[in-house]
Amino acid sequence: MSKLSHNDLITLLLAVSTMLIISRIVSEYGKRFGLPLVMGELLVGIALGPTILGHLSPTTHSILFPFASNANFSLAMDTITSLSVIMLLFVTGLEVRLPLVLRQGKIAITTGLGGMILPFASGLALAWFFPQLFNAPNNGPSHAIFALFLGTALSISALPVIARILLDMNMLKTDIGMVILAAAIFNDLVGWLVFSFILSMARQGSGSPATIGHTIMSITAFSAFMLIAGRFAINRILPWVETNLSWPGGVLSLSLGLCLLCAAFTQSINVHAILGAFIAGIVIGDSVHLREQAREIMHQFVTNFFAPLFFVSIGLNVDFLRHFDLQIVTIVLILAYIGKVAGAGVGAKIGGMSWRQSLAIGFGLNARGAMEIILGSLAFEAAIISQPVFVALVVMALITSITSAPMMRYFMKTPSPTQQTRVS
Amino acid sequence: MNNPSLKGRPPYPFKTIGVAVAFSPRLKEVLGEAIIIAAACDARLLLFHVGRKTPHHETTLRECCQRLGLSSQATRIIWQDGNPVPTLLNLCKVNGVDLLILGALRRENLFRYYLGSVARGLSRAAKCSLLLLTEPKANGTSFSKFVICGDKNPKTIHTINAAVYFGQNVGAQEITVVTELDQPGLAMAMADHSTAGQALQTKSQMNSEAISNAHDMICLCAPGKITIKEKTIPGQPGHAIRQYAESSHADLLAINSPDTRYGLIDRIFPHDLEHILEDLPCSMLIVHSRSCQTTPNRPSP
Repeated sequence: MSKLSHNDLITLLLAVSTMLIISRIVSEYGKRFGLPLVMGELLVGIALGPTILGHLSPTTHSILFPFASNANFSLAMDTITSLSVIMLLFVTGLEVRLPLVLRQGKIAITTGLGGMILPFASGLALAWFFPQLFNAPNNGPSHAIFALFLGTALSISALPVIARILLDMNMLKTDIGMVILAAAIFNDLVGWLVFSFILSMARQGSGSPATIGHTIMSITAFSAFMLIAGRFAINRILPWVETNLSWPGGVLSLSLGLCLLCAAFTQSINVHAILGAFIAGIVIGDSVHLREQAREIMHQFVTNFFAPLFFVSIGLNVDFLRHFDLQIVTIVLILAYIGKVAGAGVGAKIGGMSWRQSLAIGFGLNARGAMEIILGSLAFEAAIISQPVFVALVVMALITSITSAPMMRYFMKTPSPTQQTRVS
Repeated sequence: MNNPSLKGRPPYPFKTIGVAVAFSPRLKEVLGEAIIIAAACDARLLLFHVGRKTPHHETTLRECCQRLGLSSQATRIIWQDGNPVPTLLNLCKVNGVDLLILGALRRENLFRYYLGSVARGLSRAAKCSLLLLTEPKANGTSFSKFVICGDKNPKTIHTINAAVYFGQNVGAQEITVVTELDQPGLAMAMADHSTAGQALQTKSQMNSEAISNAHDMICLCAPGKITIKEKTIPGQPGHAIRQYAESSHADLLAINSPDTRYGLIDRIFPHDLEHILEDLPCSMLIVHSRSCQTTPNRPSP
């Protein structure tokens, strides 16, 4: 059995601590300029990875991150990033409150649908009819899978970034804030279900109707079982755990254990592990018995430990300069803005908002942040997309996240935090 | 019977009170409560029974009314066949009922599903206010302590006013307007770039906003001798207030009527009202604001 040697373990621990400490310093510095946490983490990855350190000092890079020369290190890092993505999807699921979508009613559905249909259709159509624009295959199952992926990638939103923007703008509890959150929850739920299907199809490599049917059935059956029977069971088990077991250890063990169990199950039925983690997050997060403190601990743990490792590792694996393709980046950016802002905007308008509010909602939902990067990373790992498309998605995720708040402020006529400070 | 237009009519005073008569073992208790409430509110009382008018039922009801001191001239008994929920809804509409009183089970289970579903069906769709009595008493319950849901909703002020009006008539002493603090995405947003001080500040700001919102609404009421307090509690809407009402031993929980029509999906993924109906903590008043445009200020009694 292959195992980590004494030196391998030291290298791994050094790499992990470097990633955590430097990304924290850079992210805290970026915070002063209003940059999202994920931006700092990605920048650290780019700086420590092949893009900068690999060019400037290949020896230091290979000593610190010996991906190419040390298979054990590579495997250990791969395990850490896989676990990180599972945990990230789990905490995203924790915030998917289905009752919020139901409470918001028609407007959440029209906004959520608008914010999915137009971006999905535009991405799918462009990738289907003009795959050469993305240097993608133009026939066979890979063509269809790529087209489906691009549509999904453009239609997803990033709940964590959106929540942060709304909190900063003091809009989390407003009607518009609630609509944006509800629509983002709807988008995330549908988007990750569709993406699980795409990943499963890519893994099985067959586009036969039987395989498609089987995959759809597996995803639907698992989701339905967990959301109905699983929620019922959790709502009975959680109060007992909170009362009789150590606090918060009992709840954390149950939650993380269920997350990994579901992830293992979905992986075993040829649907990616992320679906299991995401659904487990929904089941636990939706429970009325989950205390806010337990939710906070899980978020803190994942956001400050697993997320930096995952986002830094992205920069470590991809050369962002060499694979930067201006044409692909521009197309992806244009599609992202037009599809999401127009789609969600029209949806909100149909739901009864004014045009200004609808556009603010559109820009609010346009923030893709960490979710888009996770999506792109998994698609890249599954060989659905090339490095240039992945780089374009990362750039799009960052630009849409950064521009979201100022554009919302413009349409809402809300003063920026600096202006608010000045006024006060 | 006239068919007065219900639209735009304020949710109080309760001029016409209907009672759903189900010939259950609690018939006498529900009827007794309804008689006392109708007298306290100076309202006309109508008795509705959905089902066949059999001589046995007629005799039972007459005897029950006599025992409770309700003369057959003072009230109207309406018998109608049909599905309980739509029939009762229609009877309330046709008769211009302001408040429908019915007995409700504290907790639904498989065997009591039918009765529970009538209360649920009415709660979801009624165009008048509803009073669900969990433990009715023939000689009247003491409605002393009210808990009112202080959601940020245009209907809430009507609910508070209606509860205050009802409280004044039944002798309530204390009303607590409770705001549930549940913010989806907050934990996630704060995990990303918030110092301990910022997190604390955000939470306390949300708390004071909720208190101030409830306080603004209370200022619009004329509570008379009733003490009105405001309180915030953490937790998901519906579930948190249900637990609060239970732990504070409230006699009545008053909430807004649902904004949208609830369906099967709301039952699978319960929220707000559905959480409360799952396990009623005490009697419940669901105030139907027929028009949110009406002035929120309570008319003097």
